[in-house]
Amino acid sequence: MLDDYLKANLASWDEVTSVHVASDLYDVDGFRAGRNSLSSLEQTELSPLVGEGTSMLHLQCHFGLDTLSWVRQGATATGMDFSGEAIAQARSLAEELGLSQRATFVQSDLYHLPDVLEGEFDVVFTSWGALIWLGDLERWAQIVARFLKPGGTFYVAEFHPNAFLFADDSTPESLRIGYPYFQYGVPQRFDEPGDYADPDARTQNTVTFEWNHGLGEIIDPLLRNGLRLDFLHEFPYTIPGLPFPFLELCEDGLKRVKGRHDDVALSFSLRMTKEG
Amino acid sequence: MGDASAGATGTGRNEAPAGSDPIPAKAHAANLELWNAWSRIHEHAPGYNTAGFLSGETSLTPVELEELGSYVHEGTTLLHLQCHFGLDTMSWARLGADVVGLDFSGEAVALARRLAGEAGLSARSEFICSDLYDADSHLGVRRFDVVFVNWGAIEWLPDLERWAGIVARHLKPGGTFYMAEIHPFAQTLDDDAPEGELRVRYRYFPAPDEPDVDAINGSYADPDADTTGLVSYCWAHSFAEILGALTGAGLHLEQFHEFPFAPAPLWSWTIQEGKIFWLPDGSGGRRRDQPLTYTLRASKPAA
Repeated sequence: MLDDYLKANLASWDEVTSVHVASDLYDVDGFRAGRNSLSSLEQTELSPLVGEGTSMLHLQCHFGLDTLSWVRQGATATGMDFSGEAIAQARSLAEELGLSQRATFVQSDLYHLPDVLEGEFDVVFTSWGALIWLGDLERWAQIVARFLKPGGTFYVAEFHPNAFLFADDSTPESLRIGYPYFQYGVPQRFDEPGDYADPDARTQNTVTFEWNHGLGEIIDPLLRNGLRLDFLHEFPYTIPGLPFPFLELCEDGLKRVKGRHDDVALSFSLRMTKEG
Repeated sequence: MGDASAGATGTGRNEAPAGSDPIPAKAHAANLELWNAWSRIHEHAPGYNTAGFLSGETSLTPVELEELGSYVHEGTTLLHLQCHFGLDTMSWARLGADVVGLDFSGEAVALARRLAGEAGLSARSEFICSDLYDADSHLGVRRFDVVFVNWGAIEWLPDLERWAGIVARHLKPGGTFYMAEIHPFAQTLDDDAPEGELRVRYRYFPAPDEPDVDAINGSYADPDADTTGLVSYCWAHSFAEILGALTGAGLHLEQFHEFPFAPAPLWSWTIQEGKIFWLPDGSGGRRRDQPLTYTLRASKPAA
């Protein structure tokens, strides 16, 4: 059974998928022409571990650009997402680009993935705005461990929980706390008509439910499920999709807090290894 | 990323570091003067309750007792780095541990030794006066079952790789490192802000050459104490830097918890409940949505 939060979020993601496919932010035409959709974090930190034949599971893959970027690098990848619209777009794109031999896309909500997918992977990957759609990271960590081979790598590149704390009227000079770091499983309800990839879009399914998660809440259950921490890195910049007004887009294509380029944690990456 | 500010630390440096104390002489002198003064103030400060300790109360918080207590038994050897005047060190001794506390303040160590005598804990409590970065020259090859660090310790250190190396060298294989500290995000917030206002003031990412220099007004344990002329030099530390230093020293992270309360009033307007201070929610209750402290447990792999 999909709960009400999941239903609202699913309606939103089903609707915005077509907006995203047509957006400049996702630049699907550029991707068709060979552009790598992965950020500099993944390309620097995970790419060395992904080569010809590496098996990868991409959790919450949206419509699969990043999944297919790993396939172009040699991986055999499975992308999963709860949105049927996103999975249909991903399959279509993989077919069009001749990548469907090595790209499988599965529609499932995260917690029920073991019901529809078998196997263990060399790499489990998740990134950028995935975790805020999950209320229960205990179950998430169990899923991650379930699908990793012994000795396999889990890698996350994500928005930093600190980046979600600042009040809507915050300015770079006055970053005030307006949102929770800890939510104890209770979602925040948002009702916003725009979209991060197209602020002018006027969507119908405007209500979403989201959970911020502290770094301890993310890392601790992974430790308890048999993963060893290789590194946690934090960065004072993030990818362009984060729409907050106190950020500015810099020449390198990344966003930073205006006038405080080194001060505020906006992203983190995490690499862990399954023991055994 | 080639971005040192990102705290992508952890080069695997395990060897005993050579070279001088990384704390500049001026900062070292100021911090030592401050901690010597605070040691005199804190013996009788309400925030420490030394009389309660001498009458048998533990000075440790419920979190520390719950999370580390099961690793401390009769005869467990425990090293407490930056132990101040030793109440927490001796609280572990009361639970059966054979403890060594190390602190750079001569006043703190003298007070700790005197209190150990008064509490009847001298036989299992040893106190060493040493700069943190000079600990090896005092501890030699001694290794402990537990290395313990708590509350407002690492902000006085500019170099966590060398700190983590000391931690690792003085842990037995299979031993446990535990720390309970102020949250790095809470450390970025303006401590002079008006009631209820949480706003960023300080940097999150480490800058070893740019300590925060602040005039001291009282003490966290006695806000009314006279500390005229005293100054602190403190260094920011991100989670990436802290965890990178510990993993780089060969420790395995076992547990990482964050908490919405602190053992000291990080703001003058926090709400006290026993040893714990909470943020107010603006309507008479406690606010639980922001991180003020964290704990880490890590193990040294068995040889």
